[in-house]
Amino acid sequence: MARGVPLRALVHVRDDARSFRRLLLAALALGFVALIAAGVATWKSTERSARYNALVDHTYQVRESIAAFQILLEQSETARRGFILDPAPLFLQTYRENAAALYPQLIRIEALAADNPRQQRAAARVRRLLDRVTADRDRSIVLVQSGQLAEAIVGFSRGQTVLSMRAIRMRLRAMRAEEERLLTIRTNDQAVSATAFLALLALAGVLVVGIAAVSFLTVLRYTRDLGQSRARLQELNDTLEDQVAERTTDLTRANDEIQRFAYIVSHDLRSPLVNVMGFTAELETGTRAMAELVDRAEATAPEIVTDEARFAAREDLPEAIGFIRTSTAKMDRLINAILKLSREGRRTITPEPLDMAALLASIVATLQHRLDERGATITIAPDLPRLTSDRLAIEQVFGNVIENAVKYLDPARAGRIQVRGREAGGRAIFEIEDNGRGIDPRDHARVFDLFRRSGTQDQPGEGIGLAHVRALTYRLGGTIDVESVLGQGATFRINLPLRFSDTSGLTT
Amino acid sequence: MNAHQSVTIVMIEDDEGHARLIEKNIRRAGISNEIRHFTDGTTALDYMFNDATGPALNGPALILLDLNLPDMSGTDILARVKAEGSAVRRTPVVVLTTTDDKVEIQRCYDLGCNVYITKPVNYENFAQAIRQLGLFLSVIQVPDQED
Repeated sequence: MARGVPLRALVHVRDDARSFRRLLLAALALGFVALIAAGVATWKSTERSARYNALVDHTYQVRESIAAFQILLEQSETARRGFILDPAPLFLQTYRENAAALYPQLIRIEALAADNPRQQRAAARVRRLLDRVTADRDRSIVLVQSGQLAEAIVGFSRGQTVLSMRAIRMRLRAMRAEEERLLTIRTNDQAVSATAFLALLALAGVLVVGIAAVSFLTVLRYTRDLGQSRARLQELNDTLEDQVAERTTDLTRANDEIQRFAYIVSHDLRSPLVNVMGFTAELETGTRAMAELVDRAEATAPEIVTDEARFAAREDLPEAIGFIRTSTAKMDRLINAILKLSREGRRTITPEPLDMAALLASIVATLQHRLDERGATITIAPDLPRLTSDRLAIEQVFGNVIENAVKYLDPARAGRIQVRGREAGGRAIFEIEDNGRGIDPRDHARVFDLFRRSGTQDQPGEGIGLAHVRALTYRLGGTIDVESVLGQGATFRINLPLRFSDTSGLTT
Repeated sequence: MNAHQSVTIVMIEDDEGHARLIEKNIRRAGISNEIRHFTDGTTALDYMFNDATGPALNGPALILLDLNLPDMSGTDILARVKAEGSAVRRTPVVVLTTTDDKVEIQRCYDLGCNVYITKPVNYENFAQAIRQLGLFLSVIQVPDQED
């Protein structure tokens, strides 16, 4: 069936949509995580670079300070030696200037190396050695100034100052080497972290590209599925009316078939029945002749009349014929009922605006005689809904229901029948309420079936009226139901479209 | 009916019982004409057009026609009888059937049926209708066949 396919497709699409959403969410989350990771890595890396640059700068400052210190030391020494050789004031001044700058320079070095205990220790050694050298040199300067030049030369040649100077140079070299070592370590660290950063960045990049590809493909596939299902829906939509028309045609055909069937069955059943009834009549005529013969024979020659012949002619045959007659009469009525229903189904509905008050009044007029007989009254509410429907069908519906109400009034109390009507959303709802004998709730559905009746069977009828009414209301696109409490009355509710249209009932 | 009593009644009726009841009730109305009964269309048409004693070749007739027949529709027979150039087209045809469909009745009169009678549903009315038909038959004039 073509009907099954779109349903499956819809389920498929719904499943797809769910997994698609999950996948897309996961991909997006992963993408964001990758981007955040890349951002954090970049930030970390930048920070690390800044720190590294600061450290490199620091190293260069330390090295520069050490170099400056050394120059000051060497220049002051050269000036001092020059002063010993030639005690000119220029040498002395040069020595004093350079020597005076030595301690501030050492303090700078110490400050710069404050973060490194090793360099601090080295600086402390340098300070002790410088103290000794400064003391030696100041003493030699004083000796030269006081004219004890020989003493000064002896002190110089003893070489104490030279040894101390050499120790300082060694310390300073070691300090420089230490800084170089630190610089190398930091450079390596920086290279490693830069590589790691690049790797992380590459990984994030690959991840983002991958997710973009997956998302793109998923969206593409989903869009294609969506397009397909939309096309299917469109197709379904386009063919919907055709399908409805097709089904309606099928139903109409089936309905027609049933109508035709009912007509043919009832019609063809009638033919043999006419025979049965016809020959029963012939038989009756014959029986009467036979009975007369028996009577005459009894009068003239009683000895030839047997008891059997007498009973047959006077009782058995008339009785048998009587049963045949009542049965065939009943069957005839039933067949006529079916015929009537089927004819009603084939009748063309011709909607026209109906004056319900006038229509109901004419129905009441036809029942007036029976109402008077039973001392019953009918009240018809004013402002009934105005229907546009088939006059004959509406007359039959209301005629039957009201007639039923009159027929089944309770003889123990004064009959009251009320007819009301109201409009509700394009439909008219009529209520026919009586205070008659009521219908057992068990029979509420049954009373609308053909040949079915409810309660004491003390009224003539075949159980056709309400079946006919229901068939007619269906035909007019309406419904009928009943509310009743046994012994208290019944309310029949007829719901009809205000305006009959051919699609509201299954008709042709 | 014609004074010389030679009018044959051709009854085309598939139901034997109906045929018998029709015959009985016509007789009760005082009609003593010969009644030829056929239960299907083919033999009836054959009798009417080809039989030496049939209406086409011999004397006037009146046709009682049922529309529901096993081998053909009564309207087909009616069309054949009333067709242009048919030897029996002036023969009166009384359609006697159970159908009371408006369209069907119109069609029969269009085809040239002379009287259309719906068989009443119950027997009393049926018998009465046939008796009345018999009385009617006794007064109508049937044309002689052309030479």
